[in-house]
Amino acid sequence: MSTPKGSVLVVGGGIAGVQAALDLADSGFYVHLVEKSSAIGGSMSQLDKTFPTNDCSACILSPKLVEAGRHLNINLLTLSEVLDVSGEPGNFTVRVKQNPRYVDPNKCIACGTCAQKCPKKVPNEFDLGLGKRKAIYLRYPQAVPLKYAIDPKACIYLNKPGRCGFCQKVCPTGAINFDEKPKELSLEVGTIILALGFKPFDPTSLDFTGYGKLNNVVTSMEFERLLSPSGPCMGHLERPSDKKEPKKIAWLQCIGSRDINRACHGYCSSVCCMYAIKQAVIAKEHAQSGDLASSIFYMDMRTHGKGFEAYYERAKEQGIEFHRARVHTVLPAENDNLTLRYTDTKGNVHEEEFELVVLSVGLETDPGVMKLCHELGIQLDQDNFISTTPFAPVATNRQGIYVCGAVCEPKDIPQSVMEASAAACKAQELLSKARWTETKKKEFPPERNVYAEPPRVGVFVCSCGINIASVVDVKEVTEYAKTLPGVVFAQNNLFTCSQDTINQMAEIIKRERLNRVVVASCTPRTHEPLFQETLREAGINKFLFEMANIRDQDSWVHQNWPEKATEKAKDLVRMAVAKVLGDEPLPYNQLPVTKKALVIGAGVAGMVSALSLADQGFPVCLVERKDRLGGHARKFFRTWQGQPMQEYLEELTKRIEDHPLVEIELGATVEEVSGSVGQFKTRLSNGKDVEHGVAIVAVGAESYKPRTGKWNYLYGKNPNVFTLLELDQRFIKADKALSGLNQAVFIHCVGSRVPERPYCSRVCCTHAIDQALKLKELNPDMDIFMLYRDIRTYGKREHLYQEAREKGIIFIRYDLEHLPVASEEDGNIVIEVEDQIIGERIRLHPDILVLASGVRPRDDVGELSKLFKCAMTQEGFLLEAHMKLRPVDFATDGVYLAGLCHYPKPVEETIAQAQAAASRAAMILSKDAVPAESITAQVNPMKCTGCGVCTRVCAYHAVAIDQNSGKAAVDTGLCKGCGACVAGCRSDAITLRNLGNEQLMAEVEAAMEG
Amino acid sequence: MEKESVDLKTLRARVKKQIEDAVPDVRIDYCLTCGLCASGCPATGLEDMDPRKFLRLLVLGQDEKILNTNWIYSCTMCQRCKYACPMGIDVGRIVYEIRGMRPKEKRPKNLQRSCDLQKKSNSTGIPNEDFVWVVNDVLEEVRQNEPQWKDLQAPIDKKGAKYYLNQNAKEPTVEPEEMVPLWKILHVAGIDWTYSSKWWDGANYCLFTGDPEDWEYTVRKQAEVVDELGCRYYINTE
Repeated sequence: MSTPKGSVLVVGGGIAGVQAALDLADSGFYVHLVEKSSAIGGSMSQLDKTFPTNDCSACILSPKLVEAGRHLNINLLTLSEVLDVSGEPGNFTVRVKQNPRYVDPNKCIACGTCAQKCPKKVPNEFDLGLGKRKAIYLRYPQAVPLKYAIDPKACIYLNKPGRCGFCQKVCPTGAINFDEKPKELSLEVGTIILALGFKPFDPTSLDFTGYGKLNNVVTSMEFERLLSPSGPCMGHLERPSDKKEPKKIAWLQCIGSRDINRACHGYCSSVCCMYAIKQAVIAKEHAQSGDLASSIFYMDMRTHGKGFEAYYERAKEQGIEFHRARVHTVLPAENDNLTLRYTDTKGNVHEEEFELVVLSVGLETDPGVMKLCHELGIQLDQDNFISTTPFAPVATNRQGIYVCGAVCEPKDIPQSVMEASAAACKAQELLSKARWTETKKKEFPPERNVYAEPPRVGVFVCSCGINIASVVDVKEVTEYAKTLPGVVFAQNNLFTCSQDTINQMAEIIKRERLNRVVVASCTPRTHEPLFQETLREAGINKFLFEMANIRDQDSWVHQNWPEKATEKAKDLVRMAVAKVLGDEPLPYNQLPVTKKALVIGAGVAGMVSALSLADQGFPVCLVERKDRLGGHARKFFRTWQGQPMQEYLEELTKRIEDHPLVEIELGATVEEVSGSVGQFKTRLSNGKDVEHGVAIVAVGAESYKPRTGKWNYLYGKNPNVFTLLELDQRFIKADKALSGLNQAVFIHCVGSRVPERPYCSRVCCTHAIDQALKLKELNPDMDIFMLYRDIRTYGKREHLYQEAREKGIIFIRYDLEHLPVASEEDGNIVIEVEDQIIGERIRLHPDILVLASGVRPRDDVGELSKLFKCAMTQEGFLLEAHMKLRPVDFATDGVYLAGLCHYPKPVEETIAQAQAAASRAAMILSKDAVPAESITAQVNPMKCTGCGVCTRVCAYHAVAIDQNSGKAAVDTGLCKGCGACVAGCRSDAITLRNLGNEQLMAEVEAAMEG
Repeated sequence: MEKESVDLKTLRARVKKQIEDAVPDVRIDYCLTCGLCASGCPATGLEDMDPRKFLRLLVLGQDEKILNTNWIYSCTMCQRCKYACPMGIDVGRIVYEIRGMRPKEKRPKNLQRSCDLQKKSNSTGIPNEDFVWVVNDVLEEVRQNEPQWKDLQAPIDKKGAKYYLNQNAKEPTVEPEEMVPLWKILHVAGIDWTYSSKWWDGANYCLFTGDPEDWEYTVRKQAEVVDELGCRYYINTE
């Protein structure tokens, strides 16, 4: 490969694409992010809440989108599509077609006047047609970029020039340009990441669901919009037929999934069970009457992710009804209601009426995506998802092109985010030589020292077109601002955020020698960084700045009271001025980085992370407590797709051992850790000290062995009872005796999903079924029985379950009230289990009994988590910073996790997570120094009594009592500025910089003055 | 007393195997036991059976129960289950096979007798001459009593007619006037049609007994007649 390019193309602006782009842009690469619609955000932006945390989807997504939208090294190409790709890994040329927006994004200030005047209404695709939008529109309220676009199919002017054109007439900034034409761009990039997402299954073809004919049958995606505050009924749940709040809702699972008859989708869509439970829970919360009844009709309840099983159990406690039954036909009933007839497992028929039916539709690949893949030569699998393999989970068949998210298999958000970082990691490996070659860097002039200067405040009052000015008398507010103490300059601007005003502001700051700035306009959420940057460009510290939100919190909410709104605007400005007077310049804290990683645990996860970082040129210290590499994977026979595990492991260990940048410490554990991100110092049990900038924790887990108790099933008592891994050993050794068996029985969920281990171990269903198939391979006449509770072969693994049934393997369901009973007769195993469907007890005589016992956390994980100040779940797995969007980060900066210590997972997910951890770690290692929080806590030693309350309340372990002085001291590298210590301090000795009591009181007093 | 367990020391699902041999794409083993079929089946609960339980007994080799349940005659083989089954399993087709496995003497008497009669001529067993007489008699009556239909036709054995029409045997036997409306429709539509004086019964009783040879025999007999008469189209009223 010649010198690779230092830029990357990411196709698809959903959460996966955005995460991949951010990872790369933050570690030294220039990213072109191509999105076909007018705004990034993807499917996640359409969701109301996300499981299992019930976080508001838009709220947790928006900051990432804003970050991507503003990033100096992300070139956002909306309304764009990839035409073709030529070249080779490291040096691709991509042709991109950019469709016209007809609105100049540099001029549009998203005031919305255009859409108000636009006479053309069309169904809003963001709300799946449940609501309407105008021909000129914002994709959604929090859209990034927050710029209007014209829908050329709907626009009257574009279809009949000379007609309409109202938007152009009313646009206050002249942003409308009907003459815009499609553009073709040619991009030179080193690698390509496909994050093409999914499309919800369209159930119209399943006529028995009533979808499309019965008004009150909706898809789950439509239901998300019905729940969403930004949706067509503003979050007040209404059913389509009569806009009444439904009192009784049913969810039908597996619509378009696990169906090879009508839907032609043999796979499981993985996420529907969880989202249905979430929707049922959230709908109950939304219900104003408080008596919403929810029922979920399902085949197998698949809650196999972290925190999912607990969520399911909680939902049952909250009164959500779960019916293990499928409904044949949704029938119309009186008052637009719907009748469902269903048969329970015992064969009893029930009939129930519902007011709304939600179809839990599966995920499928968009035909447009299939076409693109065909053009790029990207191989799809039998289900039309992009093909990947377990040992290279984010690699496509075309070298240099990577993939992440739901386009390669249906999956949830954390898994997509993990893969996004993994894809970014693979891109970095390929292009590591070109790091920082194409990135841009913002340079600022040196800052003026303002300490000795008396305050000179400048106030900029924004009209925001007519958004503010039509309600608030901005001139009056401006004149008023001039009268406030400390204010030496005030000005009204039509659009303070427009490029020319921004430039003008910088000039004014310099000319008037302003040393404090207040902007009275919109929200700091979107605009504070822009104005702060302007301060820096004008040579003053960016923390000498305050915003007064006189739009969202004033003109928009008090439209009918212009006089009072003007008074409120004055109040808000007065408060901001009072506050800004107390602001002091804050340091742009930075922490120098030791460019070395510590990886703890040399199983597959640890080795993959270590190798990836080493391949990127970063030295790694790999610590393993045992005397050999390989970890848990040593015990595995093959992946569920049939690849032999030991061959892979051998190759991986060889590469690790031969890598000049990897130093391996066998038989060692971590004893002591000090420092923080960029500068950790760790002492190992063998006495060695390691200095490192980041750490990856990949210490694995253990397999549960049911030696005693309720889940024992003769384990350890009869020689023919094994765990899955013990049977794997026999496969590895090619044990001939296995072919001679007549009958084998597997018991699922042994010690999983039980009170003492309430989580699902995720891997055992697939593993057990694969083993059963292997036994069938050895002896096709063998009778095999699988005793299970719910089969959880999520995603493509469902094909394995189907294959097992096809081959005559028999699945018998049991539940906790009717456990299988194992006994011995003359040394032979006898199993009794009830088949619920025929209502009879079955007696089995297996030659071997295999216990699908789950994964359990290691007992010593707690110690390690304390050393790195990381949290743990109740079950004893390590807890990531955020379950949804930061799946490999710890709350402690610079420490990451991967593999089984996070949660049980198969090898392909372990590898993806390990690569993701490497990507996140590289974001630190690629820099000489990393930025740290500026707004940090400050201790006044005169007041501090050294009581230590602050050290206990600090979630980041940033405060400690100094041994010498006996007073609290804050490590500004660790401090996040959360303020917990400030609130906790009994002596008023701690303050947050620029948020001190005096300043806040000044603001409060200013509020009272008016 | 607790029921005795079903002992599966060796699983022998012979009936299932037989069906799989006869119908290669029957997919009995694919069953997810989801119960969608049972929820949609009008025969669920009859004979303490439903389609899912029926499949389950087959899979678990409970052949005696399968061969003895009269539910196979509650199931109308309508295929409603197959239509929406995620695995596309056709319980109706399986029921058909099992009906055929039952010894003739153990089948519902009326059903078997109708099939046996149809194999001779028609399912009610009336002589062919009676059918011809009844048709002509009814036709004559209509022509006389309803002047506007004086030209109504009910041709029998008309060589070279474009359409061949069969006739459910019940009508000429017990409700002969029920044949007339269709004649009138065909007349108004100007259709050139004919009955046959033999193998004229359009009923298909041998389909329901589950014997493919019998069913094929009666269908072939009808086809021969159509060919003999040289008709282009076969109108099946059943």
